[in-house]
Parts: sequence; C-alpha cells; structure tokens
Amino acid sequence: MPLIGALPQPVTSAPLVILLYVVLTLMIVSALTSVLVRDTLWAIGAFSSSMVLIAVLYLTIAPFLLFAVQLLVFTTVSAALLIGLLRRTTGLGRSTQGPLRRDWIVGAAVVAALLALLVVVLATTSWPIGLIGNAGPGVGEALGTKYVVGLAVLVVILASAALGSGLMLAAPTLPSLRGGGPTRGSGPRR
Amino acid sequence: MNVGLNQLVVASAALFAVGAFALVARRSAIVMLLGTQFMFAAGAIAFVAFGTFGLGARTFGAGAAVALFAGTTAVAELAVGLTMAALIYREHRSFAVDADRE
Repeated sequence: MPLIGALPQPVTSAPLVILLYVVLTLMIVSALTSVLVRDTLWAIGAFSSSMVLIAVLYLTIAPFLLFAVQLLVFTTVSAALLIGLLRRTTGLGRSTQGPLRRDWIVGAAVVAALLALLVVVLATTSWPIGLIGNAGPGVGEALGTKYVVGLAVLVVILASAALGSGLMLAAPTLPSLRGGGPTRGSGPRR
Repeated sequence: MNVGLNQLVVASAALFAVGAFALVARRSAIVMLLGTQFMFAAGAIAFVAFGTFGLGARTFGAGAAVALFAGTTAVAELAVGLTMAALIYREHRSFAVDADRE
C-alpha cells in the first residue's frame, strides 16, 4: 500500500524543545534514582516523580486524555498502592529530616526552575493549545468504537486484578516452617 | 535543534534499560515491580512517539489508545505484584525475593 502524504514534523519551537529535553532527562534521572536508592519511601517518591514527568511528556506530544489519565489515574493509583503496601508492612515512620535541610532546598530549587521553564514555554508558544487542538477530541471516540473490545478486555483484567489482590490479602496464610511467619490463619498445617 | 521520533525512542529505550536493570540487579520485590512499571511506561512512550511522529500518525489516536491499554495493564500488574510482595513480607519479614534461600 503506497504511503500518501508527509509524516508529522518534529517539534522545533525552541522553548518547547528545551522543555522536552529537560523533561526527558529528569525522567531518566528520577527513574535511575528510584532504582538505585536504598530507602523504599524515596524510591516510591522518585518513581512518582518520573510518572508525573511522563505525564508532562504526554501533554506535549499526545492527546490531553492520555495526560489526564497518566497523571490522575496511573500515577495516583500506583503511588497509593505502594504507600498502602508500606503501611501494611514496614510502616511509615515520621521523617527525621527538617524542612530546611540542604537536599530539600535543592529539590525545591529544581522544581521552581522547572516551573519557571514551563511558564516561559506557555508565555512564548501556543503550547499546549496548538498541539492538543489538532489531536484531542477523537481519542475517546476511537476508544468507544474501534477499540471497544480492547476496552472490555481491560475492564476484565482490572476486575480480575482487584479480585485476586483482595482474595490473596484476605485469605488465611499457613504458618511458616521456619517460625516467625504469619500471625493470621486457622487452617490445618499441610 | 528539534525533538522528534529519534529522541523519544532513545529516551524510551533508556527508560526500558533502567527497568530491566532493576529487574535483574535488585533483590527487593518493590524495586523489581517499579522496574516493570518503567518497562511498561517505556513501551507506552514508544507507541505514543510512533503514533505522533511516525507512520502511526496516519491512524488517529492509535498510539494514545495503546498507551492507555499498556498503562492500565501495568496498574493491574502492580496491584497483583504488590499483593505478592505483601505475602512475601508476611512470610519472611523482608521484601527480598530470594529470602527463601537464606
């Protein structure tokens, strides 16, 4: 089948290009941080920040629906699940760090710089209206018509995952053979 | 200077590599699950990039739709994985996946 028409052009607007490079770099750095740090809470924080940066990336190059879902559903649900696991297991202790420590100040400066860059981009370009305006409205419609089977499969997957997670957590567990195992469960030892 | 398909695919590959590293090199179940999330996200970014700047742009919304599916599947996988991590912790008082061998 012959190809008709030209492919979409890359983003060339200077502020937007700088923002995209910053977002991509920070996304990789925060992903690496979440993988390398020893403290689980810090790892979850870095993971959430990289998910937020992916949402910002989607805001730039994808329909608005994807940005909203990535930010409000995927990031929030993932962080809530991880924090919930920590609360059930190791617990969330109070932070021993005060609000004016050096690393907090550095983090706040990075966030402020990113927000300032975002303001510059918004002020000097038509983004996000220009990009989203010609790519926005049809995704929801496509999901409801072309991809309706996939959507139904997703619902089944999500329901199965929720049901399976609930059952696994609620089911009584067997005592550990090495001792120090679970405290719940009343079934016979097998 | 511009940002197009090449840059996004390279970033996607880097994110996938970070996830694969977490899966291979770390013992903590939580960090391994975070690695799988990064691998899912890397695939979604690649789909969106091809759907925006590549041949997928001819099929409107295809990249975004696949990214939505991948993200939702990733959340479901995270829910099940974290439940398994909670069970590992309940048994061994540790998130290490090879705690059974010690």
